[in-house]
Amino acid sequence: MTGSFMTLAMLLLANPAMAQQCMHVSGARIAFEIIQDGAPFSGEFAEGGGRVCMDGERIISIEAWLAPASVNTGLPELDAALQEAEFFDTRKFPRVAFTSKDIETAAQAYIAHGELQVKERTVPTSVPFALEPAPATTRISGSLTLDRLALGIGSGEWADTRWLGAEVKVSFSAMLEQ
Amino acid sequence: MHTHSENSAARYGIVAQLLHWLVAAMVFVQLGLGIYAGNLPVSLARLKWLSWHKALGIILLALVLLRLAWRAFHSPPALPAFLPRHERLLALVVHALLYAMLVLAPLSGWLYASAAGLSVTVRGLRIRNLVERNPGLAAAFHDTHVIFVVVLASLIVLHVAGALRHALRHDGIMSRMLPWRRT
Repeated sequence: MTGSFMTLAMLLLANPAMAQQCMHVSGARIAFEIIQDGAPFSGEFAEGGGRVCMDGERIISIEAWLAPASVNTGLPELDAALQEAEFFDTRKFPRVAFTSKDIETAAQAYIAHGELQVKERTVPTSVPFALEPAPATTRISGSLTLDRLALGIGSGEWADTRWLGAEVKVSFSAMLEQ
Repeated sequence: MHTHSENSAARYGIVAQLLHWLVAAMVFVQLGLGIYAGNLPVSLARLKWLSWHKALGIILLALVLLRLAWRAFHSPPALPAFLPRHERLLALVVHALLYAMLVLAPLSGWLYASAAGLSVTVRGLRIRNLVERNPGLAAAFHDTHVIFVVVLASLIVLHVAGALRHALRHDGIMSRMLPWRRT
């Protein structure tokens, strides 16, 4: 963690005039895994972004989003079905967004407490993440488990968890750039 | 007391008969399930029916391998001498292809499910994936699976037609596989 602080501090030192500074997310990779009929099934979202704002060495806010229309499970029929109202309803809600309210610094990582907005629902969510230095940048990564039913993803017949589990493991990684 | 579990020179034993009719019944169910579910749009019903189709496919593959193993150690009754040479040849070819397709059809389905990332579970037991996930490979295995199934279905038509022909001729060949006939 000291290393990541160093990197962040160095990034900040490059711009000493600004106490508060935001870095943009690039090359985001967002993967998910869900249990279907007793076996894990995975996919990813190709499109996502966000920014991490710092005040000195302290992370003060995180905003992140993903475009559910960019879902890729390797099965085109399924990707199409995930755009529908029972799942992400991407025509009405093109983005899933997370906004932090408070950043907690834990032993080896951080936890962003905030709100996850999926369709018309806003659900309090905590996102653990870590920062690590990468060549000329900082890498952010983390994972969390979400309850898809609480988020209204997979409603109607799809709410049957015997066939499609309620828990969705989400993992993400991205680079932070000035 | 003789149990008829072994094949005799004149007819199949009860084990071979049981395996034959069990596999036959399951293949019909499996064909129906696969055609019905495979043509459904993405839905929970499709997920359920295909899950059962995949599970049944694994059970069928195991039964067919068991059949082949049983057959390897228990020679089937020889075809009667009155059968013309071309009919013997036809029977041999159709039977060999039937066995091959009974292995290849479920195997290609299992490969398809594996490559698509949709693992097979049989009553909650997870069956291992045969290959790594690969969408391009999944499409190829899907087509292969359909081809093997079409070939299998065509062979079944030939097989049933042949059996009926023997039944109509009363030459005793079909009754060798009928459990209720004692000769």
